[in-house]
Amino acid sequence: MKILVLYAHPVETSFNAGLHRTIVERLEVAGHTVDDCDLYAEDFDPRLTRREKLDYHIQRSSADPAAPYIERLLKAEALVLSFPVWNYGYPAILKGFFDRVFLPGVSFKLVNGKVQPTLHNISKLAAVTTYGGSRFRAMLMGDPPRRIVKRMLRATIKPGAPISYLAHYSMNLSTDQTRNAFVAKVAASMDQF
Amino acid sequence: MRVLVVYCHPVPQSYCAAIRDTAVEVLKGRGWDVRLLDLYAENFDPVMSCEERRSYNDRAPDDAALQPHFELLKWAQAILFIYPTWWYGLPAMLKGWFDRVWATDIAFQLPAGKGRIKSLMRHVTKVGVVTTCGAPTWWSVVVGQPGRKTILRGMRALCATRCKTFFLAHYLMDSSTPKSRAAFLAKVRARLERF
Repeated sequence: MKILVLYAHPVETSFNAGLHRTIVERLEVAGHTVDDCDLYAEDFDPRLTRREKLDYHIQRSSADPAAPYIERLLKAEALVLSFPVWNYGYPAILKGFFDRVFLPGVSFKLVNGKVQPTLHNISKLAAVTTYGGSRFRAMLMGDPPRRIVKRMLRATIKPGAPISYLAHYSMNLSTDQTRNAFVAKVAASMDQF
Repeated sequence: MRVLVVYCHPVPQSYCAAIRDTAVEVLKGRGWDVRLLDLYAENFDPVMSCEERRSYNDRAPDDAALQPHFELLKWAQAILFIYPTWWYGLPAMLKGWFDRVWATDIAFQLPAGKGRIKSLMRHVTKVGVVTTCGAPTWWSVVVGQPGRKTILRGMRALCATRCKTFFLAHYLMDSSTPKSRAAFLAKVRARLERF
């Protein structure tokens, strides 16, 4: 499968960087073609601009700054998100990927003012993430990133596509043991992706 | 009352700008001390850097560009957010503002081991959200209203224990009419009169 990995963490020595390496390695060993999109390394600007907002409903040309990302998203057959949860959401750099790349004509179309999802080239989705706080606390806050993946993205990609959401909660109290167990879980999940 | 209006929209002529103008007018009319933060006009950088992330748990960032934002947070007794909902959540610009400005030693302090986060934002007693949303109400609820929850549960947890909140959204923006938009502005006005 052609798999787009969207990765968002600024620190090369972070636990998330390790997870990201595991994801890419395991997917490649399993024979997949990985397009590894490291948003920080690529210096992705997450701010939807005035021009982009004004042209929101117009088909983008290849000269458009978001065009290469649109092409990579549309070429992919599966999507893996690798990111930390900050303040109950995506890091801004990943949120901006949705704002700027998930456009009309890319991930959905508007029919009589209603959204029809169209990102049906994505037939598998996984999210690998970490939370500073506990799962209980995240639930109290409505766990927005989990809902976004399991509901919004589920509705956007190919209907019936399998989705997995792997999360290590309570990172601030994590130990070598919990982290190693999580890496093993992620590795196993990627082996079978 | 000292109120900080955090406004986030890239287009100066947008409907959100009309909401902002209405809000500022009403709040000033009530004699409140209003400060407006226009994130796009400021060209705020929402991307947390490597260095900033490394020291996140230890101390406030020393980026000079963030200092005026820290001052505003300390100053505010009420905060009103005005933004478009994109993909059920905050625009990346506003999300990054939370990530970078609601920082250690500014908005909270982390305990050494187990224990609760200590809030430094207890002086904020009112938080309001006014937003526009392409999706219909029911589907926004199914997706869990991530934007609303990020602010009114997540960030609100750092504010005063009895912090008052409100949330107003104009749904189905893509099929909105001049009438629906005028009605929503009137609603915003009425709500802010008793904010």
